Amino acid sequence: MMQLKKYLGPLNRNNPITIQILGVCSALAGTAQLKPAVVMCISVAVVCAFSNFVISLLRNTIPPRVRIIVQLLIVATFVILVDQVLQAFFYEISKMLSVFVGLIITNCIIMGRLEAFALANRPLPSAIDGLANGIGYGLVLIIIATVRELLGSGTLWNYRIIPETFYQNGYINNGLMVLPPMALIIIGVIVWIQRSANKELQEEY
Amino acid sequence: MESLFDLFIRSIFVDNMIFAYFLGMCSYLAVSKNVKTAFGLGIAVCFVLIITIPVNYLIYNLLLKGGALIWISPALENVDLSFLSLIIYIAVIAAIVQLLEMIIEKYSSALYNSLGIFLPLIAVNCAILGGSLFMQERNFASISHCVSYAAGSGIGWLLAIVAFAAIRERIRYSNIPKPLRGLGISYITTGLMGIAFMALSGI
Amino acid sequence: MRKFSNTYIFIYITVIVVAVATLLSLAATLLRPYREANIKNETMAQILTAANYIHQDKKEIPHLFSEVATESEVGDIHFFSVNTSDGRLLYVVPVAGKGLWGPIWGYIALSEDLKTVEGAVFSHKSETPGLGGEIAKDAFSSSFKGKSLFDEEGNFISIKVVKTKTDDSRNNEVDALSGATITSRGVEEMLYRCLPEAIKAIQASTIQSQIQQTQTKE
Repeated sequence: MMQLKKYLGPLNRNNPITIQILGVCSALAGTAQLKPAVVMCISVAVVCAFSNFVISLLRNTIPPRVRIIVQLLIVATFVILVDQVLQAFFYEISKMLSVFVGLIITNCIIMGRLEAFALANRPLPSAIDGLANGIGYGLVLIIIATVRELLGSGTLWNYRIIPETFYQNGYINNGLMVLPPMALIIIGVIVWIQRSANKELQEEY
Repeated sequence: MESLFDLFIRSIFVDNMIFAYFLGMCSYLAVSKNVKTAFGLGIAVCFVLIITIPVNYLIYNLLLKGGALIWISPALENVDLSFLSLIIYIAVIAAIVQLLEMIIEKYSSALYNSLGIFLPLIAVNCAILGGSLFMQERNFASISHCVSYAAGSGIGWLLAIVAFAAIRERIRYSNIPKPLRGLGISYITTGLMGIAFMALSGI
Repeated sequence: MRKFSNTYIFIYITVIVVAVATLLSLAATLLRPYREANIKNETMAQILTAANYIHQDKKEIPHLFSEVATESEVGDIHFFSVNTSDGRLLYVVPVAGKGLWGPIWGYIALSEDLKTVEGAVFSHKSETPGLGGEIAKDAFSSSFKGKSLFDEEGNFISIKVVKTKTDDSRNNEVDALSGATITSRGVEEMLYRCLPEAIKAIQASTIQSQIQQTQTKE
C-alpha cells in the first residue's frame, strides 16, 4: 500500500508542474487544443519511463564523472525516436508541436527523475516512477488544454461541443483562450484550487 | 528576409522567448526572487545564446542538412543527417557552457562569482536549446541574421526575467489569498505580462 | 563508490555513442518512406482543398486525387487541372514566397477562364501562432474566393491584402491579418509574382493542346 502511494504521488501531492516546478517550459505550448496535448503527454511519459528504465539498468556501470552526458545521450535518443515516429504516423500533430517535441530533452522532469530516482533504484520501479511522473505532468496539460479548447474554439478533440444555437443567440468564442498567456493563468488557477484543498502545500510568500 | 534590426526588435518584443513560447520557464520561476540574481541569470542566458546559436547554425548548414556534406565529396550528396541535429545541439551547448565556465573561472574571478553559479543551470535551460531549434526551423539566410536573432532573444529573456523579479519583490507586500501565494500568483502574473507584451505585436 | 579508470570511461562513452548512432540511423532509414508519403499526401490534400473538395477522408485522398486531378508542366512551372464535383474545370497553381520567419506557400484554384480565384489554401513553416500562423486557417483563405485578378481592361491587378478595404470596386481586396503585417505582405507579394507566370504557362499549354486537337481533326 505504501508502495502504491509513493508511485501515485506525482498525480497530486507531488505533481511535477504544480509542486516541483519542473517541466513547465514545454508544458504550455501544445495546449491550445486537446489533441496535441494528449500526444505531448504520451510522448513525455514514454520518454520518461524508457529513459528511467535504461539508466537504471546501466546505473552500476556509468562512471559518475560523465553521468550527465550519458543521461542526456539516452534521453536525446528516445526523444529523437519519438519525434521520428510522430513524423511518420501522426504527421499533422507533429507539425503542430514543431520544436516542442525536441524540447522534451531539456524537460526538467526527465533529468530530475533520472538523478533522483533511476540512479538509485532497480529498473522496474524506475520505469513505473517515470511513467507516473509523465502522467502527472500530462494530467495538468490535459486539464489546461480542455479548458482552452472548450472556451477558445467551442470544440473538444475537434468535435463541436457548444451547439450552433448558442452562437446564433450571441455566444462568442473567447479568442483570448487560444493565445499563449492564458495557459499560464489557467495553471495559476489550478495551483490555487489544489492548494486550497491541501493546506500544507501553501507558501508564505 | 527583412533587415537585421527588424529581426532583432521582433525577437525581443513580439516573439519573446518567455511570453510567446514559454521557453526557459523553469529557471525563470526559480531564479526570480530578487532582481539582482535575475539579472545575473539573464546576462548568462544572453551570452550563451549569442555563442551557441551561430555555432549550431554552422554545424547544421555544413554537416547535418540534406546535401550539406557535398563539400567533402559529391558522393555524399544524398546524405541527410538532420535527424541527429537534436543530439548534436545539446552536446554543443553542454560543451560550450562547460568551456565558458572554465574560461571565466580562469581569467576573471569577479565575473565568475556573479555569473559562474548560473552557467550549469543554463545547460538544461530550454531557452538555449529552443533557440537553436528555432534557428533550424526558420532557416536564417546568413550567420549575421543568426547573431541578431540570438541577441534579440537573449535580451528579450533578460527583460522578461528582470521585470518579473521586480514585480515579485513588490508582490511580497500585497495581500494575496493564501493558496495563491508563491507559485500560483507567479503564473498568473506571467500570464498578465504576456498579454501586455502582445500589445506590442503590431511593431 | 567504485573508481573508474579513464580508459573505461573512454570506452564506455564510445560504446554508447556508437550504439545510439546505429539505433537512430536505423530508425531514420526505416521510417523515411512513411514520412515522405505523409508530405506527398498533404500536398495532394491541399490541392484538393483549394479546389473546394472539403472534409475528405484521409485515406481516400490519393485515390480521389488520381481520379480528378492531372498534373501538367510547362517549362519549370507545374500546375494541376482539377475537375470539381459539380463538373467544372479548375486550374490549381502553386505559389511560394516568404513570410516573417520562413517560407510560406499555397495553392490557388483559378476558374477555367483564369480570371477569378475559386479557392485558396495557404500554409507556412514557422509563422507566429495566433498571428501570422492564421494564414493557414479557413477564415483567411476563404476570403480569396470569388476575387478577380483582372480589371475591366484586362490588365492583371492581382489581389491586394489590405488593412482596411477601400471601395473595392474592382473586387480584388481581402482583409489583412491583424498583427501580422509582414506575413500578409508576403502573401500579397507571392500572388503578384507567381500568378502571372502560372497563368501564362496554362494559356500556353491550352493553346498547344487546341492546336494538337485541330491537327488531329484535319
